Amino acid sequence: MSAADLMGPTDEATTLPRRKKRDWLFGIGLTIVAVVVILAAIGPWIAPYDPTSVTPRIVEPPPSLGEIPGLLWGSITGTLEHPPHWMGTDASGFDIFSRVISAPRIDLSIALAANGLSLLVGVLLGLLAGYYRNVATGLLMRVSDVLQSFPVFISAMILVALAGRSTVNIIIALALLYTPIYIRLTRAEVMSQKVRGYVEAARAMGNPELTVALRHVLPNSLAPALIQASVTIGFAILLTAGLSFVGAGVRPPTPEWGLMISTGANQIILGEWWPSVFPGIAISLTVFGFAVLGNALERRYDGG
Amino acid sequence: MTAAEAPMLEVRDLSVAYGVGRDAVRPIDGLSFTLRQREIVGLIGEAGSGKSTAALALMGLARPPGQIVGGQVAFEGRDLLAMDDEALRRIRGRDIGIIVQNPRGALNPMLKVGRQIGNAYRAHNKATRGDSKRRAIDMLRMVGINDPERRVDAYAHELSGGMAQRALIAMALSSMPKLLIADEPTSGLDVTIQAQFLDQMWQTVQETGSAMFLVAQELGILANYCDRVLVLQNGHIAEDAPVRQFFAAPQQPYSREILRLEQDTAEGGITSSGTVKADAEPLVRITGLVKNFPIKGSSKVVQAVHDVDLAIAPGETLGLVGESGSGKTTVGRCLVHLTEPTEGEIRFGDQTLSGLSATALRQMRAKLQIVFQDPYDSLNPRWTIRRILREPLDLHTDLSRGEKDSRSRELLEMVGVDPGLIDRRPQGLGAGMLQRLNIARAIATNPSFIVLDEPTSVLSPRAVVGLVDLLRRLQRDLGLSYLFISHDLTTVRYLCHRVAVMYLGQIVEKGSVDQVFNDPKHPYSKALLAAHLFPDPSQRRVDRQDRRELEGEIPSPIDLPKGCYLASRCPSAKPDCQAQPQELTILPDGRSIRCWRVATGDLADQEGLQHAV
Repeated sequence: MSAADLMGPTDEATTLPRRKKRDWLFGIGLTIVAVVVILAAIGPWIAPYDPTSVTPRIVEPPPSLGEIPGLLWGSITGTLEHPPHWMGTDASGFDIFSRVISAPRIDLSIALAANGLSLLVGVLLGLLAGYYRNVATGLLMRVSDVLQSFPVFISAMILVALAGRSTVNIIIALALLYTPIYIRLTRAEVMSQKVRGYVEAARAMGNPELTVALRHVLPNSLAPALIQASVTIGFAILLTAGLSFVGAGVRPPTPEWGLMISTGANQIILGEWWPSVFPGIAISLTVFGFAVLGNALERRYDGG
Repeated sequence: MTAAEAPMLEVRDLSVAYGVGRDAVRPIDGLSFTLRQREIVGLIGEAGSGKSTAALALMGLARPPGQIVGGQVAFEGRDLLAMDDEALRRIRGRDIGIIVQNPRGALNPMLKVGRQIGNAYRAHNKATRGDSKRRAIDMLRMVGINDPERRVDAYAHELSGGMAQRALIAMALSSMPKLLIADEPTSGLDVTIQAQFLDQMWQTVQETGSAMFLVAQELGILANYCDRVLVLQNGHIAEDAPVRQFFAAPQQPYSREILRLEQDTAEGGITSSGTVKADAEPLVRITGLVKNFPIKGSSKVVQAVHDVDLAIAPGETLGLVGESGSGKTTVGRCLVHLTEPTEGEIRFGDQTLSGLSATALRQMRAKLQIVFQDPYDSLNPRWTIRRILREPLDLHTDLSRGEKDSRSRELLEMVGVDPGLIDRRPQGLGAGMLQRLNIARAIATNPSFIVLDEPTSVLSPRAVVGLVDLLRRLQRDLGLSYLFISHDLTTVRYLCHRVAVMYLGQIVEKGSVDQVFNDPKHPYSKALLAAHLFPDPSQRRVDRQDRRELEGEIPSPIDLPKGCYLASRCPSAKPDCQAQPQELTILPDGRSIRCWRVATGDLADQEGLQHAV
């Protein structure tokens, strides 16, 4: 009997036309994330002004729509006396556009580092907690319960306040707060994977227990944590900005979105909206981009 | 039945399509057949051939995004597909009932079953709440549920799978439909319950003059209950034959293929899968195996396996049969030490497994393998077939990478899988193919013994035939010994040399296949064989006069009776049976039996149950 006979008709679902709906949303998410990542890499270099030094022009509003074509032409031909402030300047004279495109470097590195750290630790602890269920792992779960029972923002503020406002401390604080999420997700998945037939088969074949856990159970239990990670990065950026906003984040004059919103917030009442609104839009778009990307990944995973 | 009698259901050119335009696929494409009063028609076909889609389409339904795109379904002369929704609703449920797979999923978890049955009844009949509840109780009693007055107030999760299935049947029958569509209604039920239910359905059809359209995957069901057999292929009926003709002279290549083993067996018994020396030193020997599972928060234990002795000779296949919960899988798992036995000794060759260190046991596993029940679940979904097959070679051999690759290809050829698939992942492959891969992985290190834990239970009939062929061939070529665990006696008969019957963790009868199948002695073996549906329309269960079954509930494996475990259900039980624990006794003909009445000749044959074969 040939192999083709045995296969029989393939599953109906595989021959159905793929659903392409909402894939444009995935495209937008991917584009936003790509732009943010590129800016994190080269933002400070392509910025027209040094994001950390002031210009003599204070609280200059962004150009009106009518001025833009002229300014564009001017900056191409090089006939302007100084590069235009596309988003205006703030009360200290910083060029907002330069700071907005330089900020991803710090925001994204904090978010990525915190996320990566918590993902690594969380997944490994989750594997342990799901694989071996005993007093020690029970205790681990209770500790993460306690960590999760405080509002993330409050805990982050307290931790940073206690440890000091440095980038490393912010990363550690965020990582500590996000770790329980990954522990829980991975543990649940490990518990459902470890009783499956292929795990038994691996054991029956003569694999040592550690190999079974690391080579069979772990790779098959990663998906929920990875999907969560793509969403959490967005929220970590938001949290970083939030910490800076309340003064528990990075120090000025580091270009950072939350800090920019915070320093600009006082002037909104005077009608000077631009120092806060532009970084605000940048944060919204970035978080949106990561969230959409995470959703798309989840859908793909669910769809097999 | 006269030729003039109009058919109850006439289906012509029925088509169901998924998608539109060029991408559309038609799982049902030009389906035509008729169904008369008092007729049970069975539908069989490959997995994924659209059997369930066809069953739904008969009620004018299609699972989204599917659509019925053409044809006629004339029920008593009126085309269901041309009716408006209102008229169709009146017919559905009242005149045509449906029983779907997965009973628990089909019952609403928030409503008491009595309410659900009553609602179904009240949708088509004028009745008060009280009336419909009484009706529900009657229906539950009719489908054989004990104590219907109490069960009527149960929720779906409080019922066992068998009971949920019967509640669903009660719902489908509450308005006494003229046509019942049943989609594998007994999948997942134990043989004894399956037989009870199908007997009942058969009787209902005969008595009320209704008709039944039965989607089935088991030849035994077709042979025992259907009047005609339809073979579904490429979306239409490829063969439509009276049941005896279908089994005697199948027309389609597909039908011939699935019936091949049956015809071989009928002609000349088991096609030899190698000879076994009767006096050979056993390769595997289990002595006094006990496995208890502790219950959380209680000092009591579940006695899964109780005092089991087995010996398997080189090149021999021992069948281990019994209902679910009989402990047969636990025996298999203890045998390969996936579960640590509570007591007892397992010897493999000249070594005792429980005495081995963890490392020695791991090395031993090269010779001692297991194939699991669910092929979809037992291959790592992230790995390619190449990597899956390389794993045992990595663990147990010193071959070079190239040698491992060629060994993997050789293994694929041995199990009849195209080596071109070596870089694919298991996803998307059929169950039969996956089970072959499992076997390929199990034989990679040249084991001498394999535990086969219900390897055919989720396979389609054709894949079962293929797998049985494969297992026989491997046994002949490699001299393998098997422990074949199964509840499917038909496959056991194809494959095994000897068979052991388990009930509640004990072996109640053990002997050659011929002895146990043709002349079972133990009352439990008799009942098990009587309930089994052999694929032979000349020995239909419904034609038999005497089909007494074991009555009452299976005792709980937590509080087992002191005496014979079967005593409370056994038709030949005497007071002594309740008091005296039963020993496994060897009879003069070589078989072992755990029943003092048979062993001492106290139980004469005519007194026992009528047996099947």
